[in-house]
Amino acid sequence: MTVMSLRLSRKEIDRIKEIATKENKKKGEAARSLLYYGWFFFNLKRYKEGRISLESLAKELDLSVSETIDLLVEYGVPSSISYDDYLEGLETLRQLP
Amino acid sequence: MIVFDSFTLILLAKVELLIRVVEDTEVTITDIVKKECTRKQELLDAKLIKKLIEEGKVKVEHYHVGKEGKKIEKGFNMGTGEVSSLLLARKKGWIFATDDKQALKACKVLRVPFLTAIHFLLRLYEKGIISHELVLAKVKTLEKVGRYNPDIIRSVLKKIMEKGEQK
Repeated sequence: MTVMSLRLSRKEIDRIKEIATKENKKKGEAARSLLYYGWFFFNLKRYKEGRISLESLAKELDLSVSETIDLLVEYGVPSSISYDDYLEGLETLRQLP
Repeated sequence: MIVFDSFTLILLAKVELLIRVVEDTEVTITDIVKKECTRKQELLDAKLIKKLIEEGKVKVEHYHVGKEGKKIEKGFNMGTGEVSSLLLARKKGWIFATDDKQALKACKVLRVPFLTAIHFLLRLYEKGIISHELVLAKVKTLEKVGRYNPDIIRSVLKKIMEKGEQK
């Protein structure tokens, strides 16, 4: 691991300390777990907003596509497919033999 | 012939409809999608997809995405598997099966016809491959795993009820 120094507010430092106490972790570990959760929710939000695809989300979270689908179910992220998309699909369906 | 991306293929496997879909429709995936779907072999869906490939029920084609593919990947924030499936469908004039919003956006721009997992459920019912009771149970499962918009679920249920009355 490499060392990085950055400025944090008093509140942010208190949060790291609080997590470290609650989870019985060292402050460095607590900060790293916060970074992990930050990265996780940042990407989940991008997916929810329709900014990245499922495959891109899986790649960012280092998960398989199947595990990522399970994750979306677990966190209740709704499908971004609109009613219009569904209707267009119905038109395609009618063309099938 | 229908080209599937990993999302719809895995989704159908999770709701236990994939076997019936491959018996009704000719299914093709790209080699990149195959790799994604069977990456973690301990998963049930991965085992099923691998078996269907070995039995020749899911065909695998190599597709190199090239410069155009990379451009689409970047422009739509998509993965290589999704882009390879989309471009294979366009090249062959086939339908693309995806449940991914970004992929659907790209389909509209490139004018590739598409279907989602819930459309396959409707087809299986309309063709009499699955019973009225089973289709209703699968709508519930797909609603949970596919997390579809409530308007879509209402429309699907309405179609099922109308078809049920005709039968």
